[in-house]
Amino acid sequence: MIEVENLRKEFKKTIKDPGLRGSVKSLFRPKVEKIVAVNDISFSVPEGEILGFIGPNGAGKSTVIKMLTGILTPTAGKCTINGKNPRENRKNYVKEIGVVFGQRTQLWWDLPLRETYGVLKEIYEVPDDRFKKRMAFLNEVLDLDSFITNPVRTLSLGQRMRADIAASLLHSPKVLFLDEPTIGLDVVVKDNIRNAIEEINRQEHTTVILTTHDLSDIELLSKRIVMIDKGQKVFDGAIADLKTKYGQIRELDFETDCPDPERELDYINRFSLGEDDISFEREGMSVKVRFNSSAVPVSEMVGYTLGKINISDISVKDADIEEIIRRLYSQGVEQ
Amino acid sequence: MKSIRRALKMYRIFAAQELKRMMEYKADFVIGIIGFLLAQVSNLAFLWLIFRQVPDLMGWSINEIVFIYGFSLIPKGIDHLLFDNLWAIGHFIVRKGEFDKYLTRPINTLFHVMVEKFQTEALGELIVGIGLISVTLPQLNVQWYALKIILGIIVIPFAALIYTDVKIATASVAFWAKRSGSVIYMFYMVSDFAKYPATIYNRVVKGIITYIIPFAFTAYFPAVYILRDENPIYCIGMTVVISLALLALGVFVWHKGTRAYESAGS
Amino acid sequence: MKRRLKTYLPFVNAGMQEVATYRVNWIFYMIGNTLTCIVSYFIWKAVYASNGGGSVSGFDMPQMIAYLVLVYLTNTMIASDASYVIGEEVRDGAISMRMLKPVSYNATFLFQEIGNKLFTEFIIAVPLIIAVEIISAVLSGAVQFNILRLLLFLVSVATAYLINFFLNISFGFVAFATKNLWGVNLVKNTIIGFLSGAIIPLSFLPDPLEQVFLLLPFASLNYTPVMIYMGKYTGLTLLYYLGMQIFWMIAFWALSKLLWKVVSRHLSVQGG
Repeated sequence: MIEVENLRKEFKKTIKDPGLRGSVKSLFRPKVEKIVAVNDISFSVPEGEILGFIGPNGAGKSTVIKMLTGILTPTAGKCTINGKNPRENRKNYVKEIGVVFGQRTQLWWDLPLRETYGVLKEIYEVPDDRFKKRMAFLNEVLDLDSFITNPVRTLSLGQRMRADIAASLLHSPKVLFLDEPTIGLDVVVKDNIRNAIEEINRQEHTTVILTTHDLSDIELLSKRIVMIDKGQKVFDGAIADLKTKYGQIRELDFETDCPDPERELDYINRFSLGEDDISFEREGMSVKVRFNSSAVPVSEMVGYTLGKINISDISVKDADIEEIIRRLYSQGVEQ
Repeated sequence: MKSIRRALKMYRIFAAQELKRMMEYKADFVIGIIGFLLAQVSNLAFLWLIFRQVPDLMGWSINEIVFIYGFSLIPKGIDHLLFDNLWAIGHFIVRKGEFDKYLTRPINTLFHVMVEKFQTEALGELIVGIGLISVTLPQLNVQWYALKIILGIIVIPFAALIYTDVKIATASVAFWAKRSGSVIYMFYMVSDFAKYPATIYNRVVKGIITYIIPFAFTAYFPAVYILRDENPIYCIGMTVVISLALLALGVFVWHKGTRAYESAGS
Repeated sequence: MKRRLKTYLPFVNAGMQEVATYRVNWIFYMIGNTLTCIVSYFIWKAVYASNGGGSVSGFDMPQMIAYLVLVYLTNTMIASDASYVIGEEVRDGAISMRMLKPVSYNATFLFQEIGNKLFTEFIIAVPLIIAVEIISAVLSGAVQFNILRLLLFLVSVATAYLINFFLNISFGFVAFATKNLWGVNLVKNTIIGFLSGAIIPLSFLPDPLEQVFLLLPFASLNYTPVMIYMGKYTGLTLLYYLGMQIFWMIAFWALSKLLWKVVSRHLSVQGG
């Protein structure tokens, strides 16, 4: 469905030295620097998949998405959706995609929401009968009826997001791009939106590309992720693989009446661990220890802990994806 | 043909939305019109004060001058009324990355931007323009015949198009420079020269407004054909040719620009 | 005083940087404004050509050219964005941020704008003054430059700027009530443009009108400084019009203070 080959994007940037002198200097001799925002990225997405697209801030996520949606022209490489290239026939290409940027809206701000759909119907040339059916479907999934006559500027953030998703789906696109669809929403609303995305994907086999800061979005919605950092792809595969590749992190949970278990256990000296290999969290009686199982085997860790202090209710878990990604972001990724 | 019908339909929808919006902010709408009316009144007072001192201006009577002035307001007002959203490209649409939206829609971006808003303040210019023409025409000794009436009407949309063309080409600069409000402004202000007979200017200025930024074709040349029966092939024909040629240039620059568009970092 | 100045220096600096950053834009806007001036020049040239080259309403051709350039210069020097910026700030609530800072509201604004101007005015004023002098010398055959008149002109322009600044502040406090700031500003600027003599010298007006316009504050904005530079106001007349400028400056300063009180009370009632 989506093929991305050796995609690259460079930007030119004028650099200004700080202060008034810098301003004056750049007036006469501006310094220009080339910045590579996306460097040789390739991946493909089969029809009907929900792909999680993640990476730290400034990694180039938005730039990739903007090239895929035909907003930016790639410096090199190409992307095709259903065999169509955005640069050859943009108008034809964008009919097959729907785009939602969480921070921006494509709704007409001053008008009742219903009017936006009327205008989009014309823009996308949706015939009357199909439009009716479509609105009924979108209303069922996204529950628009309660606010469809209100001016867009009066909608809550959650309502606006639902309305925006509906707007992007009005023309039944084959691919849906969602950039931070749950940003700034509370838990219940997030849940609604996730369910809606899942429902649409299930019913219509819409391919979804999802970027988000909220990793629970990804864990709940997608089986596969592509992660990029500093403009390059650093991981592409199933979430389970990410866990096995980077996930030697285990979590040891137990309860103890020991007053200061961290000092008492002193893992760092006992196993000569680095700062990054272990973290310690305590809340009343319960303790969470996250540790790198390649630095110290799980069995040794459990045995040592049980022998050292008085413990009840011990368990060992895989770390969740959030923990893995947090560590990857903070350490940088070595390939 | 189908695409023209669709274009008109789209325009009707956007216009209807704008009218609804306007009804919500009636006072603002009136203030805007008054502003443009007053600006014209101030210029007319200037002309009136000058003609208290001299009987004619290099052979142009006050009626002729006011006719040209009034005529110039009509194409300017039409462009202003219909296609003013181009300024927003130069001011903020590109800089803030709002152009993304247009690029993800299956419709010509230039067309979409142009028809999305319309600027009711322009009615101030149109009212004054039509008023001045109706007041001065009866007092001018103009030979009327069918061809002249037809050509005089046909030329107006093309004259308006010259304004739009200049705005398209200069607004496109924003795709490279992030903002281009000042560029549009600089070129748009050249149209100030179009309000008066081109013969009062020196050769350089006349050359510029005839051949380089051809605002002379928005009012002066059509008006001398109407007033003094000068060569219609040049006065009217060239207006049509130039407006279309400039449109081609504007569209070309626009499309180059959309490829260079960098969106806004986020 | 020195300490106070130091408080405001960052605002001056910020203003100057703003201009440098948007330098190209600024140059284009200036060129655009100059075009209007050039159009007027050609109209006046035509007027004097049709008139046989004599003097009109007390202005001969070289004087009229000097008038055009000086009006343009004065307009640039006294220009103030205050009404627009304040209107916006009152509307979007940014004004309460300024209220939080332990400096006078009007003063932060004033200094930021002065910073903006220091940069632009050097670039514009010096060449224009030189141009005026060269043009008048060439056209009239005699050097007319008079350093005392230049100094008086600068004093008068500075006063005119303050009048304009306080007038704009006052206007901004009132105008935020409307959503169409742009429209009300157009109305205001058109009226000021005409009544201040920026479009045509006030001496072209029929006599009773001229007398009335000279009493209004708008003549103090542009007409007075230009007349002073051109040596049309001397002796007691000069003192009279300078006094009038000072009167209007104080009047608008007081008005802006008063309105500021009203607006800030209004804001604190509304909670910003």
